[in-house]
Amino acid sequence: MQCLCRSDSWVWRTLSREGRYRQVALAVALNLRTFLRLQPHSHGQVGLHLPNIGSKRAWDVARLQQLDTSFLEQGDVSTPTPEQVEKLKEVAGLSVDGAGPEHLAVLAFLYLYLSICRKQRALPSLDIVVWSELPTGAGLGSSAAYSVCLAAALLTACEDIPNPQKDGAPSSRWAKDDLELINKWAFQGERVIHGNPSGVDNAVSTWGGALRYQQGKISALQRPPTLQILLTNTKVPRSTKALVAGVRSRLLKFPEIVAPLLTSIDAISLECERVLGDMAVAATPEQYLVLEELIDMNQHHLNALGVGHASLDRLCQVTMAHGLHSKLTGAGGGGCGITLLKPDLERAEVEATKQALTGCGFDCWETSIGAPGVSVHSAASLAGPVRQALGGL
Amino acid sequence: MQRGRGSCRSARSHAVGSPAGVCSGESDPPRRTRRGPRQGRRPPLAPVPSGIGQPLFLARVSQEALEQRREKHRLRLAQGLLWSHSVRSRRAVVALAVALNLRTFLRLQPHSHGQVGLHLPNIGSKRAWDVARLQQLDTSFLEQGDVSTPTPEQVEKLKEVAGLSVDGAGPEHLAVLAFLYLYLSICRKQRALPSLDIVVWSELPTGAGLGSSAAYSVCLAAALLTACEDIPNPQKDGAPSSRWAKDDLELINKWAFQGERVIHGNPSGVDNAVSTWGGALRYQQGKISALQRPPTLQILLTNTKVPRSTKALVAGVRSRLLKFPEIVAPLLTSIDAISLECERVLGDMAVAATPEQYLVLEELIDMNQHHLNALGVGHASLDRLCQVTMAHGLHSKLTGAGGGGCGITLLKPDLERAEVEATKQALTGCGFDCWETSIGAPGVSVHSAASLAGPVRQALGGL
Repeated sequence: MQCLCRSDSWVWRTLSREGRYRQVALAVALNLRTFLRLQPHSHGQVGLHLPNIGSKRAWDVARLQQLDTSFLEQGDVSTPTPEQVEKLKEVAGLSVDGAGPEHLAVLAFLYLYLSICRKQRALPSLDIVVWSELPTGAGLGSSAAYSVCLAAALLTACEDIPNPQKDGAPSSRWAKDDLELINKWAFQGERVIHGNPSGVDNAVSTWGGALRYQQGKISALQRPPTLQILLTNTKVPRSTKALVAGVRSRLLKFPEIVAPLLTSIDAISLECERVLGDMAVAATPEQYLVLEELIDMNQHHLNALGVGHASLDRLCQVTMAHGLHSKLTGAGGGGCGITLLKPDLERAEVEATKQALTGCGFDCWETSIGAPGVSVHSAASLAGPVRQALGGL
Repeated sequence: MQRGRGSCRSARSHAVGSPAGVCSGESDPPRRTRRGPRQGRRPPLAPVPSGIGQPLFLARVSQEALEQRREKHRLRLAQGLLWSHSVRSRRAVVALAVALNLRTFLRLQPHSHGQVGLHLPNIGSKRAWDVARLQQLDTSFLEQGDVSTPTPEQVEKLKEVAGLSVDGAGPEHLAVLAFLYLYLSICRKQRALPSLDIVVWSELPTGAGLGSSAAYSVCLAAALLTACEDIPNPQKDGAPSSRWAKDDLELINKWAFQGERVIHGNPSGVDNAVSTWGGALRYQQGKISALQRPPTLQILLTNTKVPRSTKALVAGVRSRLLKFPEIVAPLLTSIDAISLECERVLGDMAVAATPEQYLVLEELIDMNQHHLNALGVGHASLDRLCQVTMAHGLHSKLTGAGGGGCGITLLKPDLERAEVEATKQALTGCGFDCWETSIGAPGVSVHSAASLAGPVRQALGGL
């Protein structure tokens, strides 16, 4: 049985990042996908192949079976403690100091594999390949997509949830309760990788569409519209941690200036949600203009918070020169930007914009948002490059 | 500077209680003093000293440039460094205005040729009127007490008098109207309207939203009030420049505000206040108060030369507030907070300026600029300006109305001269005009001709 899962990453977040500032977030699923292929075997190994980052590892199932995994024994869906993480590192054969993307991806996998599959009589031999259309490390929640894929695949392989695949259907989705379980485990995977994530990323990857995140509660927007966008990666590296710390310090330094700014950002999120809600019924040109105004104001506010960057300014300028509106997405300080593509744009204009962005040294994808969440796909429904990346299907 | 010949003049008590002047005789250095109560014919204005052709009056006015403001009762774009818009609301607003050291100069020469002339070299305007004809006009429409506001009917009448077309409302028309209004109003108490020539020249770019009209009005008010001896000429011997006393400045400011009303209709009064008083002022809920000892800050002032309509920009902000009240209202609150913080820092800096304080100013500049962009009064040219200066490690924001126009860049002390020059070149390379100047300058003053730079003297017709 092959299990192919696809999940998307959130991309459009109109807020500053901490939930503890009681911010409102609007997250929408981006239609750049992460694919996972799970192949059961009987060769006594469990393998993880991550072509995007050139990682290929395998572990002896028998050895893993012998490990004392009681440290994982904390109920059904549990949070890894630092000690557990250290132990996992040993198990994985990772150096104690390692914490790069590959290490974290491997740790998250092992954590989910050992935790989800431990109720099996024997740990399953299987090979997993995960490949993403998303740029990694660009603050786009690719780790969440990864975690969601892993959770869905492993839960299905262990039959904790059924495989929703229907005959002849190119893709199928799990039922609501199953998605809840997938999301809970995916969140734990995120915790291994990020320590203290908000949970929005994995929620959007799981549920798709558009979600509102407020004070720790996540609720889905009804029938969000599909919007066409450009996603641009400036490829400027940045530290989410540093950016978050910078915003916090600016708030402490200038509370009277920054607090109302955050209030204004909240209001943008809410207005955006309202407009998207209206657009699901019938999208008018005026609503697109409103979205563009909201995009602009949000971008200026993010700059005022100090999470802008010269490369993002360049991105916004270039798109503006073509009459298009952009804002940063993700953590800021570099990373990615998103440009709204209204309907009825001249194809030539869009192409010229993409070329101009590429000319700046950026990577640029044309895609959509409001995409479905994690799904199962038939191999035949996948595009050639995807099938090839997953090892030939 | 008013050179007078002639008789000793006794002191007179001024309407607002200025100190008595000194009686000056012929051999004394030129000094205009207060006169006694008017009785009968007043002595004419001092004739031009023979053979010398000295200028009689020079006033220097600084422009306000550093201002963050929201005004309570109307939406208006204010000039300046840290600046904001406001709309009609009951919210408290705070403005911080600082005088920019780019100056407007006025030279007043009394004559006896029976004409009153106004020459504005910056805009190529040169007009003259027959004093006798003006004298015959029914100026009762100006009769409304000492300092009065022109009504629309009065303005129409003035246009007739000026020989301006009824529809004209360009910068030249408004400048001429403001002059005539002030001339006829201030000088009407003279037995005969004085013949004189006035030249006004400005280092400031006009129409760039920098309050050049306020500087103009302040110069006119100060010159005319002094020429009519409503206030003394404060010129001191040997001093390159001198300032009027507080009460005289109040009167100058009141009249200047009326001139501004002719030009702008419903100005806030901050511009003329900063031009009059100089330094730094806080404007809040209609009250203007001076900051004590504001620091002098070095800046670049850059004109993108992109034309824009203040009216349109103002309307745009208002409409954005109406459309997105929950988004824009807290944004305006944040801008207010930036004004207050800026004032606080400037206050601290007057005592002792530290590098950290300059860093704070730079943060405030950046945040304010982003907020102004969020309000929709930015422009690609201003973004370019900010980018160019940022590439040299300097922080800028728009000043004036926005949508083009001018920007201001803070120059911290101890900057490499080469870096500043490189920045100016980069800005000029973008097609902008760029001046290096300072803010926190003195307000309206009288200058000796000798103290002025060559180009200024030449612009004023050769001194």
